[in-house]
Amino acid sequence: MIVIDKNKLTDLLDALNQSYQVIVPAKSADLTQFMPYDAVKEKNAEIILNENTVLSPKWLFLPQSEGMYAFWAKNKKLEIVDLPSDLEKMRIVFPVRHCDVQGIACLDKVFLDERHVDGQYLEKREKTVVMALMCNNPKDSCFCASMGVDRAHANNTVADVQVYDLGSEYAFEALSDKGQQAVEAIKALGSEKTVAVPEVKEQKIKVNIEGLPEKLSGMFYDSIWDSFMFKCIGCGTCAFICPTCYCFDINNKIRGEEGVKLRTWDSCMFDEYMLMAGGHNPRPGKKERVRNRFLHKLEYFYENYQMMLCTGCGRCLRKCPMNVDIVKFINQANAK
Amino acid sequence: MNPIAQEMQNIAKELLTSGEVTAVIGWEKGTFWYQSTPVMITSAEEADKLIWDEFCQPNLSKYLLDYRLNEGKVAIFVKGCDARAFNRLLQDNQIERQKAYLIGIPCPGMKDHKQAALVEESAKDSVPLAKVCQSCRYPNPVVYDRLIGSEVTPRATEPDFSDVMALEAMTPDERYAFWQEQHTKCIRCYACRNACPACNCRNCIFSDSKSGWISKDVNTSENQFYAITRATHVAGRCVECGQCEMVCPSNIPIMLMNKKYIKDINDLFGKYDAGIDIDTPTPLGHYKLDDPEEFM
Ligand code: SF4
Ligand code: SF4
Ligand code: SF4
Repeated sequence: MIVIDKNKLTDLLDALNQSYQVIVPAKSADLTQFMPYDAVKEKNAEIILNENTVLSPKWLFLPQSEGMYAFWAKNKKLEIVDLPSDLEKMRIVFPVRHCDVQGIACLDKVFLDERHVDGQYLEKREKTVVMALMCNNPKDSCFCASMGVDRAHANNTVADVQVYDLGSEYAFEALSDKGQQAVEAIKALGSEKTVAVPEVKEQKIKVNIEGLPEKLSGMFYDSIWDSFMFKCIGCGTCAFICPTCYCFDINNKIRGEEGVKLRTWDSCMFDEYMLMAGGHNPRPGKKERVRNRFLHKLEYFYENYQMMLCTGCGRCLRKCPMNVDIVKFINQANAK
Repeated sequence: MNPIAQEMQNIAKELLTSGEVTAVIGWEKGTFWYQSTPVMITSAEEADKLIWDEFCQPNLSKYLLDYRLNEGKVAIFVKGCDARAFNRLLQDNQIERQKAYLIGIPCPGMKDHKQAALVEESAKDSVPLAKVCQSCRYPNPVVYDRLIGSEVTPRATEPDFSDVMALEAMTPDERYAFWQEQHTKCIRCYACRNACPACNCRNCIFSDSKSGWISKDVNTSENQFYAITRATHVAGRCVECGQCEMVCPSNIPIMLMNKKYIKDINDLFGKYDAGIDIDTPTPLGHYKLDDPEEFM
């Protein structure tokens, strides 16, 4: 492994930024999120390494709004035009915690499904090097270990480089060819050493998901939803901050004779999400919506892809304005 | 136990046992120490869930909209701002007075839960009050059926517009840059709208991209259109509960824009506090012959 002193963080980012577009977690205007390193420097923003960002890195692969193609309608003729890629350089994102690496693994299941590979998503994945950080400072809201995330080794279908926090140093281990190239670019800043994987600190929140999808498959009509839905105000916070929620809507943005087909994030908690032509809504109330959110995360996704659509990142525990708590839900469902 | 919480539980039990109400909406303790969250109970046995602490800032009144078509009465606890929010819904003809049983609680001020989330529980005492609570003029419920405890002295007698004045002192370019930076952060989750008692339209234009007013494209200009339109629509009706800003995951200073409107309305149409009495029409909801009309 290549071991680099943490004092050299700026050198490290600068070195990478020469051949890559570097993306880092940072705080700007009182919000933590993943930002291009150039913007961090320009805005004098603070790089945030000791906690998980409020907004997840999901937008790097599934932007909140993304043009799919442009179109012109002139003289009764329709012309469709591909949009140019907005990724000129390879990107590198450092560091991504294991819960968020797992989030990308969830998105891969959907957008790189062998039945349909999403070209725009694939391009972003291929042009991004993911540097995964094993975090040894879990927050009181973290429960990724319970959700099946390996705290010591990031999901290697996603992570290109594994980074270990050794206290005053970082250790870098390449896991893929892309990762190897990135490590080459920073090699000169440190030295080659053999290091032991640091000890994993326990997380406060523990929750049991053993047999949960099977159990939930029989609970569609359970009374749990009647009480659990009460607090929810049907906003989009939980879905938008979640590293795994991937629902999108396709819509047009038209000006005069030209327009763009857009793909934008959507949330199953919005009342209009399921609204159909003619006004029928198969999920008419918040009970049906809250049920869908939890069943999608903890049952349906598992049935389709044998993994949970929750990585235990804890964002919704902290940020749901009314504290609709997925851990509490799992505990209540287990107790049934 | 906190004597107020004890009395809340007693009253809830009494109302549910006698059948006077079908449900009671209050607060329960949330996941973390700095979270107290809305809860609905329907039986006397559940009354011990109810709590009262310095994090009971979620405004409960808007939950009544979910039960407006139900038979029977629902009881809710109201702080000063919840009571004003209740009046908001009443004046906007969204709910019926006789379908709610209001248990008033004079409010000592709630702590800023976002600040609290940044520190350990041991530092609880150092957590400041929420911004709106620091200059609250109506901590005592303005409408209730029954009151717990005794009235408190308001922290302020005049509205605090110091932050609005700082905004007004900026040059137009500075102000524009300020709001640009803030609205770039908006993720259009609509939590501010959904938490707001003044945002009670049954069909919101922002949920209807077909209407063509706004697209689902999330960018600074559309976000700004959303923020300004919402602030304008609640202007003259905003009860200053601060829910919008408290629920914002992106920490946008939403109250600043609301307060700018309140200040302008006070200057143009005379001092007005929304949600205090429901018989005075809202300043932008009616007209007077001597209204200023510089632009006509
Ligand atoms: S669960 Fe919370 S964050 Fe999600 S829609 Fe409901 S209130 Fe909003
Ligand atoms: S559901 Fe909540 S805890 Fe789970 S991945 Fe999404 S934001 Fe994180
Ligand atoms: S705009 Fe904000 S402060 Fe005003 S009533 Fe709505 S939520 Fe409360």
